[in-house]
Amino acid sequence: MISRKEFLKQTAYLAAGSALPFWLGENKSSSNNITILYTNDTHARLDPFPDNAVEFAGLGGIARRASLVRQIRREQKNVLLLDAGDVFQGTPWFDMYGGKVDLKLMTEMNYDAMAVGNHEFDRGPEGFAEAAQKAGFPILAANYHVQNTPMNPYVRRLLVKDFGGFRVGIFGLGIQLDGVVPRELHGDVRYRDPEAWARGMARSLREFHRCKYVICLSHLGYSYRDARIDDIKIAQRVEGIDLIIGGHTHTFLDNPVPVTNPAGKTTLISQMGHGGVRLGRIDLNLSERNSPFGTSSRFYTIGKEID
Amino acid sequence: MRRKYILFLIPALLFLFWGCASSDAMKDSDAEPAAEIQYPDPDPEISFLLDTYRESLNEVMGSRVAVVTDTIRFGQPESPLGNLVSDAIRYRAGSELGRFVNIGIIGEISFRLFLTPGDLTLGDVLEFMPYDNHLVVLTLPGYKVAELAHQVADQGGAPVSGLRFRINDGRAAGILVNSQVLDRNRDYLVATSSWVANGGDRYPAVWEYTDRIDLTDVDVRELYIDYFRSRREIHPITDGRLRN
Repeated sequence: MISRKEFLKQTAYLAAGSALPFWLGENKSSSNNITILYTNDTHARLDPFPDNAVEFAGLGGIARRASLVRQIRREQKNVLLLDAGDVFQGTPWFDMYGGKVDLKLMTEMNYDAMAVGNHEFDRGPEGFAEAAQKAGFPILAANYHVQNTPMNPYVRRLLVKDFGGFRVGIFGLGIQLDGVVPRELHGDVRYRDPEAWARGMARSLREFHRCKYVICLSHLGYSYRDARIDDIKIAQRVEGIDLIIGGHTHTFLDNPVPVTNPAGKTTLISQMGHGGVRLGRIDLNLSERNSPFGTSSRFYTIGKEID
Repeated sequence: MRRKYILFLIPALLFLFWGCASSDAMKDSDAEPAAEIQYPDPDPEISFLLDTYRESLNEVMGSRVAVVTDTIRFGQPESPLGNLVSDAIRYRAGSELGRFVNIGIIGEISFRLFLTPGDLTLGDVLEFMPYDNHLVVLTLPGYKVAELAHQVADQGGAPVSGLRFRINDGRAAGILVNSQVLDRNRDYLVATSSWVANGGDRYPAVWEYTDRIDLTDVDVRELYIDYFRSRREIHPITDGRLRN
């Protein structure tokens, strides 16, 4: 059994020593896979839904999710663990600790990144910053201008993860603040056009950071009938994004929804409801050459065993 | 033993599913999802960490607000829990404004729990209504109140206070407001939450108000804590306000 670190070192060495990068080689072992695990709108649901919950009684719970993630990490070498925002607000855990416990436990689980949801503003930029000190992973929102606010040290536009030479780019998008977050709670944080920023991020990740796969962590919402920007519209209008992991609308998408982007390629959209009832999973098989990579999807409903 | 057996089976099942949910299947969003129910044991490290925070949580959140005498649920057309939550906002709005408020309305969708017999704790109430909203009082003309009643009827019933009517084929019939026949030409005061007033629920009639008072100091969650605390004992009550 080798550690993940050693594995990455070894694969980097192999990639450097061979004519082809490892992901184009013939080896079909799980080292040629990247497993993307994701949640959204967990809303302080650290314990499972109580027995008197109107919906989802007994489902979810961060400790069970952690155990499932640990099991998947044992089977898969390259794992990304992501969240699309609204970790804050929803149970007394938030009233008591303001999101600190959630972010601490997500750090223990080795989450790689999360997006900024509108509820992340529920205790203002100061409250966000206080909790974010517990986050050992970047919190992403490309279209929020956070300079000169307490959120500045914790919010980043993008993140690049390198799996033995195969680079995955991740960026975040936040929802409009007007009408969603009271002025006094978002303070000097400013919202900017998510479509323009998505375009800029996708281009930067592909061209400058040389990413082969681009993930958008979006808290815009899956789909609106009116003109409000949503994940579907981003997918239709912006090229260069392979996967949108969405949130905000608490939508349960059993299968990722494929949308043809302006480059004629497919952008997949997924969202896992809310409350940590589901853990989403998308596997990229890098040794398959069909466009863009062999992809498979599934989700886990995290529940308690019923006798 | 049974759980171990399931855990052993899962990797094998995953392997089988691999082919089912290939990239081809993903082109069709109606494809059979590769879904799995997982009931792993809680991760011991995460559980341990969580428990280090739990004691303080229980100390604060475990304090008793009231005693619930019987199971109190939402339901249709009328329900004891729907009556409780809509009466609470109407009464509080009246005492805040020092005026009679005619109607209270809020959707079940704003609530996450039903009430079970025994102590109702502070934590229960905060979880019952988990989001920060404030109390809003709208002025609606009578014909808009009629529309609102029809929208409630169309849903099969919803938490309302101050309104009485029969639901007849998805329409409100014989609408009474505070025991008097609805007057389409006068104004009524309607108490609700800021979320509902801002378009968060399924009552379009309340979006077209003629006046709106935002009682921003009255947090709806605190309103419920105060209301339950003042009652001490909470009983399920229905009074036939909505009938099929």
